[in-house]
Amino acid sequence: MQTSSRLVKWLISGPPLLFLLIFFVTPSLIMIFTSFRLPGEFGGLAPVKLLPGEVAGDSGLTIETYQFFFSDFIYIEIFLKSFAVATITTLICIAMAYPLALLIARSRKKFRNLMIMLVVLPFASNFLVRIYAWMIILGPESGLSHFINGILVFFGIAPVTLLFSPFAVLIGMVYVHLPFMILPLYTNLEKHDPILLDAAQDLGANSWQRFWYVTWPQSLPGIFSGSALVFIPALGMFAIPDILGGTGDIMIGNLIKDQFLGTRDWPFGSTLSIMLTLAVLGIAGLFSWFAKPAIRMT
Amino acid sequence: MVDSLPISVRLSLALLITISAIGCVQQNNSTGSNKTPARILQVFNWNNYIAPETIQRFEASCDCQVKQDYFSDNEEMLAKLAAGASGYDLIVPTGNAMDTLIRQGVLIPLDKASLPNIKNIHPAYLKTLFDPTNQYSVPYAYTLTVLGFNTNKVRELGLPTDTWAIIFEPEYLQKIKGRVTVLDSPRELMAAALLYLGYAANDQDETHWNQAKELIIRAKPYWAAFSNTSYIREIAIGDLWVAHGYSNDLFQAALDAQKTGRHFAIDYAIPKQGAVMSLDSIVLHQSGKHPDLAHQFINFMLDGKNSVELTNLIGSGNPNMDAKPFIRLELLQNKVIFPDEESLSRLEMITDLNHKQRRILSRIWTEIKLR
Repeated sequence: MQTSSRLVKWLISGPPLLFLLIFFVTPSLIMIFTSFRLPGEFGGLAPVKLLPGEVAGDSGLTIETYQFFFSDFIYIEIFLKSFAVATITTLICIAMAYPLALLIARSRKKFRNLMIMLVVLPFASNFLVRIYAWMIILGPESGLSHFINGILVFFGIAPVTLLFSPFAVLIGMVYVHLPFMILPLYTNLEKHDPILLDAAQDLGANSWQRFWYVTWPQSLPGIFSGSALVFIPALGMFAIPDILGGTGDIMIGNLIKDQFLGTRDWPFGSTLSIMLTLAVLGIAGLFSWFAKPAIRMT
Repeated sequence: MVDSLPISVRLSLALLITISAIGCVQQNNSTGSNKTPARILQVFNWNNYIAPETIQRFEASCDCQVKQDYFSDNEEMLAKLAAGASGYDLIVPTGNAMDTLIRQGVLIPLDKASLPNIKNIHPAYLKTLFDPTNQYSVPYAYTLTVLGFNTNKVRELGLPTDTWAIIFEPEYLQKIKGRVTVLDSPRELMAAALLYLGYAANDQDETHWNQAKELIIRAKPYWAAFSNTSYIREIAIGDLWVAHGYSNDLFQAALDAQKTGRHFAIDYAIPKQGAVMSLDSIVLHQSGKHPDLAHQFINFMLDGKNSVELTNLIGSGNPNMDAKPFIRLELLQNKVIFPDEESLSRLEMITDLNHKQRRILSRIWTEIKLR
């Protein structure tokens, strides 16, 4: 009995584990190895000579990409900037998703599925098409631009350009990632027992107190999982800054993409990716460390 | 041509192209299914870089099938070949990528005896830096990196159109702030800056690079964005007034503005300091199965009547002298598509950098993007 249930466990968890092992661990190892190699003359990688008898120091392995990374503050600056953008995106997503998720969770059952479907509906069209649509909405000759600048000029403020700005990047980021915050929040909020709120009311809590002491602490797991789903993809995003961003809106994703497609510098691209992975792991670790007591409290 | 589209754009393009290509092949099969299987000429080409009617005529003349795979970027083409893509009889790379292919030793020398039409090529486009004796390559078409502008706006604001100063000098830029884009390509933008500073586009001196960097950083606050593709639409609808861009893309934008009846016109010109020329050539890849058919195709494309169709379609430059009589007049009179001797002497083809230089340039580029 004991052994067969263990067998079943392995049978169930084995395939996905194997999948991750092959398609996550192996590429990561290749990437780590690549980061110590030299770029080839035509792109790709220079051959590695690990056989004995080669001239020392000419093995084709080097730590110069790491030296290069730390030799200049600009790379660290881009990391910090990307973290700032991803953090702001996550916070805006929380602020916008929470009321909506709460509304859906508290509405009548027959409307819930419809509303969830509406949240997911944008996924039916291609991601890039939706971003290009924002280009049209935010363009200098668009109705929105004319409307906003009309108001600004009326009050004597200089007109602004919406497209190709950090503002446009944030709009795109929030727009794309919002459903990833709404869905986990909704699944969390939906499970809350309404009796707890009634009890709080009976004990004399006003509506704000009911939210802050009953609903909010219970919803923290939803916020944490939603934040992870938003923060990590937002950090590596390169298409949105590319398309909607202005001249200064480079993020770490753009930099890594450039190393592989433009500069043909795979080793340095790998180094940047490793640094990003380490940073994300570090943040995830910190996050769960902070999150654990907060969740346990509930 | 298009230097770096976002990879997701590329993937979706590739998918689209694959689907349409499959569609075409199936069509061909169904019409010729009762015959013996025809020979297939595999061409690895830029998207929309051969007029469909040209292919049809060649297929009719050779009793064969032309099958194309597409790339949107030289780097992508090189990467696919490096990853083992094979079976291509012909490839259409730009100069510096061709240089790489030659040095890798994966091209087959041309048999000039079976290419009598090579006499049609203007001597100015033969014997390039990359293949000095044309042992491997025949010029196919070219693109210039120039300045495109909204003629009405530029006239209204009294801006010059024949100098890179318009995208680098604050005195001009302040009039077009937020209405100008430059290419999102380190090599192209640095080339423009270096040319403006009086250096060669291919200058590899690091101090000159740093001067160019300073120039670019000073001008950057006035630019709306770095853009490789979206500027085509933006300038055509009037959102942009000046764009650093590719001649055939700007040709497309001018055509679009004209077709949609805008109240302005788009034009483009070669700056007096010089510009970058990207000459695409046809080369024979060693993995091809029909070198004889490939030669036949090259000779066919060297015929003016055939080579002209691409020019008339996308406004690309044409190195073929024999094509002149068939080119639409407004194209022939276009000083960018057909530069005069004097402008021609100021055009430069970009050469490849070694990996150390690429890394330094990449850092400069990162700094430009961040500041």
